[in-house]
Amino acid sequence: MDTLNLLGGSAGMHLWAIATAAVVAAGCAVVGTLLVVRRMSLLGDAISHAVLPGIVVAVLLGGRPGGLWVLVGAVVAALLTVWLTQVLHEGVGMSEDAGAGVVFTTLFALGVVLITLAASRIDLDPSCVLYGILELVPFDTLLLGGVEVPRAFLTAGLVFLCLLGGVTLLWKELLASAFDPAAAAAAGLPVAGLTTGLLAATALATVAGFEAVGAILVVAMLVVPAAAAELLVHRLHLVMGVAIALGVLGGIVGYLAAWQFNTSAAGMIAVVLGIEYALAVLLAPGHGILARAWAAAGLAWRVACEDRLAVQWRAEEGGERAADATTVLTRLVCLWLRGSGRIAADGRLLPLGQTEAMLIVRSHRLWEAWLGRHAELPLDHLHPPAEWIEHHLGSEVRRRIAADVGQPAGDPHGRTIPPED
Amino acid sequence: MSRPQPDSSPHCLEFHDVTVAYGRRPVLWNIDLTVDGPGLFGIIGPNGAGKSTLLKAALGLVPLAGGSVQFFGQPLGAVRTRVGYVPQRETVDWDFPVSVFDVVLMGTYARLGWFRRPGPRERELARDCLLRVGLADVANRQIGRLSGGQQQRVFLARALAQQADLYFLDEPMAGVDARSQEQIFAVLSALRAAGKLIVVVHHDLRSASEWFDRVALVDMRLIATGPAAEVLTPENLQRTYAGPLDVLDELGRAVARRERTP
Repeated sequence: MDTLNLLGGSAGMHLWAIATAAVVAAGCAVVGTLLVVRRMSLLGDAISHAVLPGIVVAVLLGGRPGGLWVLVGAVVAALLTVWLTQVLHEGVGMSEDAGAGVVFTTLFALGVVLITLAASRIDLDPSCVLYGILELVPFDTLLLGGVEVPRAFLTAGLVFLCLLGGVTLLWKELLASAFDPAAAAAAGLPVAGLTTGLLAATALATVAGFEAVGAILVVAMLVVPAAAAELLVHRLHLVMGVAIALGVLGGIVGYLAAWQFNTSAAGMIAVVLGIEYALAVLLAPGHGILARAWAAAGLAWRVACEDRLAVQWRAEEGGERAADATTVLTRLVCLWLRGSGRIAADGRLLPLGQTEAMLIVRSHRLWEAWLGRHAELPLDHLHPPAEWIEHHLGSEVRRRIAADVGQPAGDPHGRTIPPED
Repeated sequence: MSRPQPDSSPHCLEFHDVTVAYGRRPVLWNIDLTVDGPGLFGIIGPNGAGKSTLLKAALGLVPLAGGSVQFFGQPLGAVRTRVGYVPQRETVDWDFPVSVFDVVLMGTYARLGWFRRPGPRERELARDCLLRVGLADVANRQIGRLSGGQQQRVFLARALAQQADLYFLDEPMAGVDARSQEQIFAVLSALRAAGKLIVVVHHDLRSASEWFDRVALVDMRLIATGPAAEVLTPENLQRTYAGPLDVLDELGRAVARRERTP
């Protein structure tokens, strides 16, 4: 039934709603990236709330929701927030975050009170302002070249293009002042002006998103895609590109999921963005949880293999038999060492295993010799650190250590240090 | 070494009776200082003496409560591209998503002016500057993955890319390994040989006379200035490092509180 609806007459409606969500998310990702890398996410949160009274006043004065005057009202309210926060910080000595907290909640509350007071006179529904009505966006349209285009899509699209154009034009100025404000100011850039511009742009992006996703959840579009992108890539233009992609993806997937489960589109979009962030934390290359777990597992396996080779080598050095593998891990290790041609079926070292084992034991005993010379440690304290370090010594550092301790033939325990060719 | 300039040629850097206040409280009192190049000039003093503030005041990053600063006989706005600035390393977020090369390229921005993008010539210059500080092999690395000494050299390379005539460096040797210190000093010496003036805020007395041609001893006011060997006398150092200067400190607080001192 639902599928029929989507394919039938309402397909266009859904596509417009999805397109609106996507373009709102893209605009938010552009400014959100700059906010997140400047560690100003909280100010984005503040502005997205504080623009509400500006919107209400603009509507009361005859502006149309989603129209130009509402955008102007929102920017004015945003700049007022920033200015009041500054006054509280510099004039009254309040900390900046507490000041912002006081200002934006007060202004937001003022907006809520105004809406409720003027409810009979204006076409602005409080719950719509808070939670958005993405589902109803396609019903308020404008005829454009014979096509009925939703007003919200037009506003958001225009805002996105303006933001993208502005950021492209001012890219190097924004980059320099975001990374090192002091050096940028010394070089003559109007850093404070650029920051104010960014905050005004934040107001524009959030107002464009108001109708679609509401005041509360638009913060998610502002901050979450950029924060996730920052985990995945490490240059600003890439962060912005990935943030836009993640925002658009969240808009599309969130809308479809909301439609599937018959729930709030705005809420579902924010949830999907949260999931995207969680996946970024999990999968980020290098620093992600999975990457780190994989690296840790890789090290553990290498250590187990090298330890087994060294045990065998020491046993053969003393003319004894190495103890049998008892744990699951060491049995697996033995299987692998045998399969890769390092030890024979009876456990004896083959030439390849012999070479590798000698290097491990050489690392171990060299490190004991180095510690014996440079650290004030009793003889029985030398083994544990060497047991750990032996797996991390490469040939270059080994050579330097050997030279430093005078190419000794034996370690402090009197055992021979195997040579390295 | 600085040499006497003919009267017609303006000084590279001139502080004229400069007083700087944070809020209402003065932290630098009546600095009158003239510096000429080429040379390595050290601003030496204890913690909290206002050394970094002096640089920031010269660059217009903190407002002057009184006095004026001139560069090559002109106000800063007229000669900005001839002045390079290397802030303290801790003032920026090293997790910021930029590569080493991106940061060095920023040095070329000031000359480019608004809207223009760095082109092949700027890229070539940035690569050359990275080579000069010995970081060519880490050009594409994210800046957070460098050691402290390497980070400081990235900042130095960015300043080099600015191709200035006068450089301000704020504590370039702080938290930097010995090898990077030597490299930084070598680059600064090469700049001096190329006729530049390099003004360095520095806190380590032991290396001061070795590195700088001339120094200024500062502790909330200018105590002495001149050739390093003449200024770094036990008597001057005693006056600089004897502890906070009670009169200026108390007076500053009283000014801030709109009161009279006890």
